[in-house]
Amino acid sequence: MSAFSDFWAAHLIWRDPLIASVISGALLGFLGVYVVLRRVVFVSAALTQLSTLGIIVALLAEERLGVEVEHTSVQLGIALLFSSGGALLLGTLGSGRRLPAEAGVGMSYVLAGALVILGANRLVHVAHDLNSIIFGNAVAVPVEDVFILAGVALLVGVVHTVFQKEVVFASFDRETAEAMGVNARLWSGLLYFTIGLAIPVAARVVGALPVFAFLTVPASAALVASRRIKPAFALATALGAFAAAVGYLASWTLQLPTGATMVTVAGMLFAAAVAVRAIRD
Amino acid sequence: MKEGLDLATGGNPPSGPAARAKQARMAPLIRMEDVTIGYGRVALLSGVTLSVDPDDFLAIVGPNGGGKTTLLRALLGTLPPLSGRREQVAPVTVGYVPQRDHVDALWPLTAGDVVTMGRVAGRGAGKRIRPEDRERAREALGRAGLGDLWERPFRDLSGGQRQRTLIARALAAEPQLLALDEPTNGMDPAAELSAMDLLRALHASGRLAVVMISHRLEAVANYARRLAFVDKDQGLWRVGPLAEMLRPAELSRLYGREVLVREEDGRRFVYPVSGAKA
Repeated sequence: MSAFSDFWAAHLIWRDPLIASVISGALLGFLGVYVVLRRVVFVSAALTQLSTLGIIVALLAEERLGVEVEHTSVQLGIALLFSSGGALLLGTLGSGRRLPAEAGVGMSYVLAGALVILGANRLVHVAHDLNSIIFGNAVAVPVEDVFILAGVALLVGVVHTVFQKEVVFASFDRETAEAMGVNARLWSGLLYFTIGLAIPVAARVVGALPVFAFLTVPASAALVASRRIKPAFALATALGAFAAAVGYLASWTLQLPTGATMVTVAGMLFAAAVAVRAIRD
Repeated sequence: MKEGLDLATGGNPPSGPAARAKQARMAPLIRMEDVTIGYGRVALLSGVTLSVDPDDFLAIVGPNGGGKTTLLRALLGTLPPLSGRREQVAPVTVGYVPQRDHVDALWPLTAGDVVTMGRVAGRGAGKRIRPEDRERAREALGRAGLGDLWERPFRDLSGGQRQRTLIARALAAEPQLLALDEPTNGMDPAAELSAMDLLRALHASGRLAVVMISHRLEAVANYARRLAFVDKDQGLWRVGPLAEMLRPAELSRLYGREVLVREEDGRRFVYPVSGAKA
């Protein structure tokens, strides 16, 4: 009881990070269904790198050119620009006749990664807390980040509710969608754009590793457990939120690294889904 | 190369409202004139003139990689021609059936979910699928002979059932033009016959133009009204009525070797002769 009292007494400290983590898990869990089914799991890695590159560019502009980007919302805005711009590009480019779309994803990842390293190498003033600037800290989340995250989640939720039939058709069978008059390029671009919006804001709260995990593991568990598309979306959203909540609380009470604990919980949920499916079949 | 069958107004305008209405009904859905198809700046085939009439049954035949799919994409307007003109008098509702193995069976969709996608374009962006849309989709699945498989996961269907589900999705759009890309690819002979019989029945049941591509002449020789031969490597583009196109001389040009055509019990059989160059 005493442990619980201590825990509750500290709720003002963990409340906002917990809410932000749960929103991130739910948002990325939902989008992850598309990421897994479209077989583009490395898009999330590439977009995380691109959003990081955006922050590095902002910091370099401040240090070298004297451009005022100190406020975190400005940095986030530039990260969003890079991430959503990259997402739009990756989403609207179909497979070419010479190169598959995966080549573009891979090149975006490695080139953005290399530029992040080169850019970070030239930073002087903020080098010591670069990791916290780029990936945030799930232990201490500013309330404005929670509002930004909630706003992005609401926007993504509305867009995907209104245009679900178009995005599903364009994702499932782009060739037929185009032939039958559905603008597959537009809807794929919209999907990638929403993924590009979600990644930087979620990465600031939970970090890069959980972002990648939440975009793949809850959706994979939901797709193993569910035979229908709508329940799969609902289950992936719920599992993402659950993994984030349980992971966050476990890391708090057991004094474990937050992101890694969330990912481990998500992995345990996937194992449970596989077990349930094996028993049911 | 001109097709010679298109838009046969003969230069004389129709004289009355009834004649004009009839002409409008029979006007080609889509017409391409002296079109060059290709990707980027690379031309695959030039001089393509082709029209698709409202009750057409056109089979586009040629070797693998011969440019058939590119031609179909150009015809449907999803690939702009490099030169020439593509025209349609009014918007054409297209039902499209892709190659079966182009559709990802990983998705947790039922046959009903897949067929209902055929209603998406007709509903318009952001508008919900209505119960009557689902009803039309159910009817389409029934027309494809799978009315009792509405709830069956798409990935659990056999190859032939998947193909029929994709045909049903195209029909759910209530199309004027049904376009199919290698619809019998990978099927055993019985399933191929069944799929082609279905297409013939659908074509016969109403005003539905059918354009299908196949690399197997045998599969279409007993069903299509018109044939088109496409082979970008030979620069070959020919289109005409079935009887004209099934002549050994035409076929030999397509296959680059002697070809025999036989008719037995009302069915045509096409035999490329082993070892004999045309």
